[in-house]
Amino acid sequence: MNFQMPDFSLALPELWVATMACVILVVDLFARGRESAPAFYLTQLTLLVGIWLAIDAQWGRDAVTFSGSYVADNLAVVLKVAMMGLGLLAFAYSRDYLRQRDLLKGEFYVLGLLGILGMMVMASAHSMLTMYLGLELLSLCQYALVAFNRDSRMGSEAAMKYFVLGALSSGLLLYGLSMVYGVTGSLDLGVIREAAAGVGAQNIMLAFGLTFVVVGVAFKFGAVPFHMWIPDVYQGAPTAVTLYIGTAPKVAAVALFMRLIGEGLAGLQEHWELMLVILAVGSLAVGNIFALVQTNMKRLLAYSTISHVGFLLLGFIAGTPEGYTAALFYAVSYSLMAAGAFGMVILLSRRGFEAEEVEDMKGLNDRHSGFAFIMLILMFSMTGVPGTVGFYAKWLVLKAVIDVDMVWLAVVAVIFAVIGAFYYLRVLKMVYFDRVEGGEALQAPAGLRVVLAGNGLAVLILGIFPDSLIAACAAAFGS
Amino acid sequence: MIELIIFYVFAAVLLFSATMVITARNPVHAALFLVLTFFNSAALWLMAEAEFLGIALVLVYVGAVMVLFLFVVMMLDINVAPLREGFARYLPLGILVGVVMVAEMALVVGAEQLDVGLTLTGGGAADTGESNTRLIGSVLYTVYVYPFEIASLVLLVAIIAAIMLTLRRRPGTKHQDISQQVRVRKADRLRMVDLPSERRE
Amino acid sequence: MLESYVPILVFILLAVGVGIAPLVAGFVLAPRRPGSEKLSPYECGFEAFEDSRMKFDVRYYLVAILFIIFDLEIAFLFPWAIVLDHVGVFGFIAMGIFVGVLLIGFLYEWKKGALEWE
Repeated sequence: MNFQMPDFSLALPELWVATMACVILVVDLFARGRESAPAFYLTQLTLLVGIWLAIDAQWGRDAVTFSGSYVADNLAVVLKVAMMGLGLLAFAYSRDYLRQRDLLKGEFYVLGLLGILGMMVMASAHSMLTMYLGLELLSLCQYALVAFNRDSRMGSEAAMKYFVLGALSSGLLLYGLSMVYGVTGSLDLGVIREAAAGVGAQNIMLAFGLTFVVVGVAFKFGAVPFHMWIPDVYQGAPTAVTLYIGTAPKVAAVALFMRLIGEGLAGLQEHWELMLVILAVGSLAVGNIFALVQTNMKRLLAYSTISHVGFLLLGFIAGTPEGYTAALFYAVSYSLMAAGAFGMVILLSRRGFEAEEVEDMKGLNDRHSGFAFIMLILMFSMTGVPGTVGFYAKWLVLKAVIDVDMVWLAVVAVIFAVIGAFYYLRVLKMVYFDRVEGGEALQAPAGLRVVLAGNGLAVLILGIFPDSLIAACAAAFGS
Repeated sequence: MIELIIFYVFAAVLLFSATMVITARNPVHAALFLVLTFFNSAALWLMAEAEFLGIALVLVYVGAVMVLFLFVVMMLDINVAPLREGFARYLPLGILVGVVMVAEMALVVGAEQLDVGLTLTGGGAADTGESNTRLIGSVLYTVYVYPFEIASLVLLVAIIAAIMLTLRRRPGTKHQDISQQVRVRKADRLRMVDLPSERRE
Repeated sequence: MLESYVPILVFILLAVGVGIAPLVAGFVLAPRRPGSEKLSPYECGFEAFEDSRMKFDVRYYLVAILFIIFDLEIAFLFPWAIVLDHVGVFGFIAMGIFVGVLLIGFLYEWKKGALEWE
């Protein structure tokens, strides 16, 4: 194979984040004091600069470098900006949570940052090898972060479950990728796209490969029936880590799907469409129905995640640029809402007390009406009440599905969304109408309040002016 | 012909030892059978002229991963008997699922009479006569430099995670600090006391 | 190409033969009088207290996993050493970065005290 000098300037965001992760590791090693403040501020600076670099170096480009391993295009930029922005948010939330539990160690930021690097690699992957390595980089960081509080039995158990199931799903994905490689003879997703479209799913090997790839991707999304790890991991992990896992990796999963299946195996659309329909309907049903009976807030949000994944998959099922735009918009806006919801759990917790039960939301309005209002926005948005960002997300997805004449699917989705509204409203009922004896004032630190207020405000503003984000997502798919 | 016989011998031993891995009562035996499995697959790779992969398998899996496996097996001190209690109970269900899956695959694949229409496109060492290791090397550090560097970061994460999760400072352990021992001066340890000798009365 | 492995094949056959022959000979030739007392565990004349296996310290595991990581790194060095004249400065720098990242990992483990046994 002839070798061309790669264009390093295209890959600047990844190079920057990778370098800074190493720098932060060393700085934290030699910095005195137990608060890891240098690591925290350097991490946030890295992400801010990374966002700027991603836009500056890659927006409006459509170039492949590193001998076909790396692609820089608008989709990559939107994905990376979303990942780094959500990472920024997750780190900002986590600082006070970790400090109160004596978990504030530099490793949290280094692993978190390397995880984001893994996601960025996935966003720009143009070969199956790169995609897999990015996924593994992300997954390894996640497994370690779930076990971050190593004295917690539940955390270790959750990490173990996550690791075993995650390794299994990686194995399935890799098996599928190797079959696709066997048929198409290339790792380059551009070549695969041509070859797979030419061969078609009549080739049994390609059909098997596609199935395994879809299963692997569904595992990473947490779509039913590959959702078992989500509730346990969300509940067992420290809330700050749950916040990290529950937000940006969803955007990374969109990257995984878009690059491997949406672009690489586009020629087999009629085949993966049917599999996705099963996954989506299953996720909508299981997520919404099981969430009804949860008493633990983190588990409730876990099942809510599953139902939202079902919605998100509808955008992929449409298989049009509009559908992909809707799915991307859904992933970003959902992640923002989920960050706020988990942030609320962090806000109500304090040293020695985890506000994990739904009951702990009781009387929030009496304790602090401002945060009760933010909770109102978040829950309305997750329900999809008109005027919130969650509404636009659902609306775009449904519109894309109806445009390809799958009205029944849209009807099913709406029915389950209505069922789902019940548990969000139940939370709100507790916030506004339940009184609790001796409801004390909130004790949360000022920094956390500011972050959560900003998060709530962002959801609100996006609900009023969603156009710019929709336009950015549409630009990612060249329309 | 001889090659074929050798292949079947290695393959048979491989299948046998792989079966023993999952049926051996003693986990240590299972781990040792796994070593045998790795050796046989390395031999098969050598026969397929993938020398580097064969050697890497022996070097990394037999040399390092299996050591870790043995450590883990010994560290956990698992009592195997209770683990096996459920085996018989779940066996019918497991067999049922297996049969269903095989039947499904047969339905899908059987229709095509196993004609996978596979065209092997990967260029093996056999075409060029060059050594497998050289071929891997000539692309790994140039064409695949990006995945290669990501691999180093994956290894870095493994280091950080392993240390973060298992390393504990134990308070109260006594250990030598060689540098302090060396740095010690006579004045730190030895006090010269001037005692006037007693006068005998 | 495969012919060059013939000595190794002969060696394997010989090794298997040397390993199996005494066992077979012992099985065939030696007198056998099995008894339950012969099979029971013997520990200084009284019944064994417990299983002979005992728990390992988790620190062995840490050492083993750190060993694996650097073992893997070395596996990457072999093909590099062979093609160094071919891949030139680019390949040299590529490996430099690879080793550099792991060097940072090594620095981390050293400074954290993972190499000390206490």
